[in-house]
Amino acid sequence: MNHVIKAEFRRLTATRMWLWALVAAVGFGGGLVGLLTAVGPENFDPPMPALESQEGVRSLLGVLGFTVFVPAALGTLAVTSEYRHRTATFTFLFTPRRWQVLAGKLVTFTAGGMVYGLVLTGTAALGLFGAAAARGATVGMDTAEVLLLLLRLAVTMAVYTLLGVGLGALIRNQIVALAVVVGYLYMGELILLMIPGVNIVYPLLPGGATASLTSFTYIADALAEKMSTDAASLLSPVGGGLLLAGYALVAAVLAVLVPMRRDVN
Amino acid sequence: MSTRTSPATGPEEQRIEVSGLTKRYAEVTAVEGLSFSVEPGVVTGFLGPNGAGKTTTMRMILGLVAPTEGTATIGGRRYAELRRPSETVGAVLDASAFHPNQSARGHLRIYAAMGGYPDSRVEELLEQLELREAAHRRTREFSTGMRQRLSLATALLGDPRVLLLDEPSNGLDPDGIAWLRRFLRSFADEGRTVLVSSHVLSEVQQIVDDVVVIRRGRLVAAGPLAELERSTRPAVLVRSPDAERLTAALRAGAHGAAVSVEAARDGWLRVRGVDSSQLADEAAAAGVRVHELVTENASLEELFFQLTSDDPPRPQGPQEAAGPEPAGTGPAAAQSGQPGRAERSEQSEQSEQPAQTEGSLR
Repeated sequence: MNHVIKAEFRRLTATRMWLWALVAAVGFGGGLVGLLTAVGPENFDPPMPALESQEGVRSLLGVLGFTVFVPAALGTLAVTSEYRHRTATFTFLFTPRRWQVLAGKLVTFTAGGMVYGLVLTGTAALGLFGAAAARGATVGMDTAEVLLLLLRLAVTMAVYTLLGVGLGALIRNQIVALAVVVGYLYMGELILLMIPGVNIVYPLLPGGATASLTSFTYIADALAEKMSTDAASLLSPVGGGLLLAGYALVAAVLAVLVPMRRDVN
Repeated sequence: MSTRTSPATGPEEQRIEVSGLTKRYAEVTAVEGLSFSVEPGVVTGFLGPNGAGKTTTMRMILGLVAPTEGTATIGGRRYAELRRPSETVGAVLDASAFHPNQSARGHLRIYAAMGGYPDSRVEELLEQLELREAAHRRTREFSTGMRQRLSLATALLGDPRVLLLDEPSNGLDPDGIAWLRRFLRSFADEGRTVLVSSHVLSEVQQIVDDVVVIRRGRLVAAGPLAELERSTRPAVLVRSPDAERLTAALRAGAHGAAVSVEAARDGWLRVRGVDSSQLADEAAAAGVRVHELVTENASLEELFFQLTSDDPPRPQGPQEAAGPEPAGTGPAAAQSGQPGRAERSEQSEQSEQPAQTEGSLR
């Protein structure tokens, strides 16, 4: 098992993908949050709560939740690229107990997703406090609370990496898997939210769980207002976190079980 | 080979046993009731036209494809049950199974880690397979020959006792093929097991000791190549307006007991058991007219073609086109005839010259 994990870490660092992932983390974290802070959420169109308010900080950092597609896509690629480039043959020849391969990928990419999350949120903290200081604005949330929120976001990134690995194992075709993962995260849930009645289940969907974990309800609220439906009430952050962990667990179990009997042609 | 010493294992530890192996997909049966064994110490050729089920069989032996029925074992164990799979078996199934953005060294280091082999083994193989210069380059820049060597290097990481190669000479230049032959020979001479598949008999003819021939997923022939060669008999093709009288005369003649006659098309006969001068003499003695006489040199290729042809007996009057080609032989198939063999001449009627079409298996 240790051999497999070591091999997967080598695989992760054998191409420059990890470098691009870090560039994305810094760009979305420090770059995006710094930019939004510099502009000021109160100046958005439509305006969001000001940076000086707790709600303003929460919404601003919650935007990071939209970038979960990056770690999700990385996790998906971890499995699908093995099929696309046919390295799955060598991999399963060296490790015929296939669950070990997927377990190795889950361990490696959960760690990788966590690193991604920490770089994302670390640079986001720099962007937030740096841009706020430059504007002379005060951040309307305790530093400790900001850091805790960011840590929750970092964990979210790791969980989505795991979800990506699971989906990649299920849908081996790289293009289809990526389209499903990114398409669902971007549009699928928002469309569900718009359907009256169906939005009741939103808190139980991955996006809803993510929203409660990151305390980012702005979109859900705004949509509910616009559609004049009741805002779907989200789970508590802990509940959302547990639910998301449950999704990740299901993805992990599927990732380990599904390739067992499938033919590798 | 490597400086590593291989674990001392008896021949029974390295024998591949395939028994009643069957693979059915929704609509096709790729392999049906296939049984054979592959012995250590010799190079075994796994032959058959494209689409005969060779790759599926190899993938079943390696546990990548689950058989519908039957078993395939290496040293008595299924692949997934091997204690140290990559130390026992090395296999190359895809001509190019690398991430295009990884370097050759990067690729090998991943699998060295997975098998638990030291990085020095990677350097050793890069050296042995003449990839050191290219080790840092991304595999997308590699030529076919380099890809083949990198695949082989991956398979050899664990210094395995058993080697399975699927169509290894595809895309290799003559030097590469010569190198591969020497390599496989020395590998087998060390008492190891080699199974190498090909749809071109002539490509492996010089290196294989044993053959397993399959067609449409079923076993057609298996055993030492030399035995198979002995079973080939030369034939004479004869065109006569008095075919029936000629047949009768030959059967009644001096060589009658050994003679076999079968009808080819348009008045041509294929006669075995006599050579062309004996046939001509007997025809003259019987007063039977003979318009054309062609010696058909029996070759192993011919036999292989007969064994693997979908439509035996082979339709191959000299006027005909190259005969049925096994599925998948492309236009490249008909290139490079070997001189000195008159067979299945495509255009003999038109050109008077027996043309070469080794078509079938090239």
